[in-house]
Amino acid sequence: MTGPSGIGIGWRPEIAGFVAELPGLRFVEVVAESVPASGPLPSGLAQLRDRAVTVVPHGVRLSLGGAEPVDPARVAHLAAVAQRVDAPLVSEHIAFVRAGGLEAGHLLPLPRSREAVDAVCANVARAQAELPVPIALEPIAALVDWPDDELDEADFLTEILDRTGALLLLDVANVYANARNRGTDPLALLDRLPLDRVGYAHVAGGAEHGGYYHDTHTDPIPPAVLDLVGALCARHRPPALLLERDGDYPPAAELRAELDALATAAGLPAVT
Amino acid sequence: MTGDHRPGLAERQAELVAALVAGGTPPAGFAPGPLAAARAALLRKRAGEVARHWPLLAAGLGTAWPTTFVRWASGRPTSGSLRDGWDLARTMRERGTLPPAGAEELAVREAGLRYDGRATPRPRRLPAVARAGGAVAVQIAGRVRLLRPARRPPAPPGGVGGDLPDAAGSAPWISD
Repeated sequence: MTGPSGIGIGWRPEIAGFVAELPGLRFVEVVAESVPASGPLPSGLAQLRDRAVTVVPHGVRLSLGGAEPVDPARVAHLAAVAQRVDAPLVSEHIAFVRAGGLEAGHLLPLPRSREAVDAVCANVARAQAELPVPIALEPIAALVDWPDDELDEADFLTEILDRTGALLLLDVANVYANARNRGTDPLALLDRLPLDRVGYAHVAGGAEHGGYYHDTHTDPIPPAVLDLVGALCARHRPPALLLERDGDYPPAAELRAELDALATAAGLPAVT
Repeated sequence: MTGDHRPGLAERQAELVAALVAGGTPPAGFAPGPLAAARAALLRKRAGEVARHWPLLAAGLGTAWPTTFVRWASGRPTSGSLRDGWDLARTMRERGTLPPAGAEELAVREAGLRYDGRATPRPRRLPAVARAGGAVAVQIAGRVRLLRPARRPPAPPGGVGGDLPDAAGSAPWISD
């Protein structure tokens, strides 16, 4: 049960064979909701555990930023998965995914308000009370900004991390996407975040549609995102950086080249 | 919640979700451009997730899948990817627009699972036969078999590649 280190990749059933054959891989992440709480583990995942590869469960449906209390059954599932894969930590998002009885289907941003900080901190505390391991919180890529914002992004995130004691899961592609869509400077945000609190980082591809940059996870990593990885690592290199790919999987050679490019940008050993 | 009658976080979040996925009135103060972009992005993500649950339906529609799904799903909140794809496939069956691979996938699903259109589909306990677009699937003791493939349009006369087998629809066994 060692913490995530080096270059990792998001484990998905579609690329389980590819992931299994990465000789230097020490770290993967798995979508927590896709792992059953009992019964056999997905076989590729079990083999990685046999190789002592660190597996971090990554929740996407807790809705920690929802105004209503987090669902105890969802927290219990995340805790069970963490135990099953002997995870050193789990991660979730600073976001909400449902409200008023409707599922949004994906992560939605919170207003950067005091009320939202209180809501997310209360839910993180509820989750922490049941989780066997620390939690890392990931700021999301937001296409909409609330008119209610009272804090800037750095103050909003820092306050949540300070009050919860959680680690930061820094998604470099999200930092890039938000800065590009808001017309702000991604380096200015990096300079104000507590980079020593980063448990690990995410990196993913995206594309522009209709005048907005979308963090799709189905496109190649743009060079500008790799540059931002370099800038992050020059300031404070996270212990681990993980490639997220969630569809339109390219041929293995291309995916290997992306992992190598990420390792080069981060100054870490290749895992391929 | 507050003295000036400004709605609280729960109400504002509910308004935003409804505006994004259920055709609700956008909450006050949000710029329309980003809201439209977010609405479209949610639908695209959803189309990808439903395609993972209904790979033959999506493959049968090919490049028309995203637009077909998005047109159907727009303003319709999700019931989860399995049910979303199921509801869309049933709608297309009624209209006679289901592609052959999708018809076979629907028949196989309906033979194996009972779905009333409202609650989570559940495994059938009794043997069952299901039909869609000429496809016939049977389930006995939990094993589902496609007895007859769906009707396929005749190959275009002289069309290059018109007689290629449809790989997506050729698997006789699909375990659900």
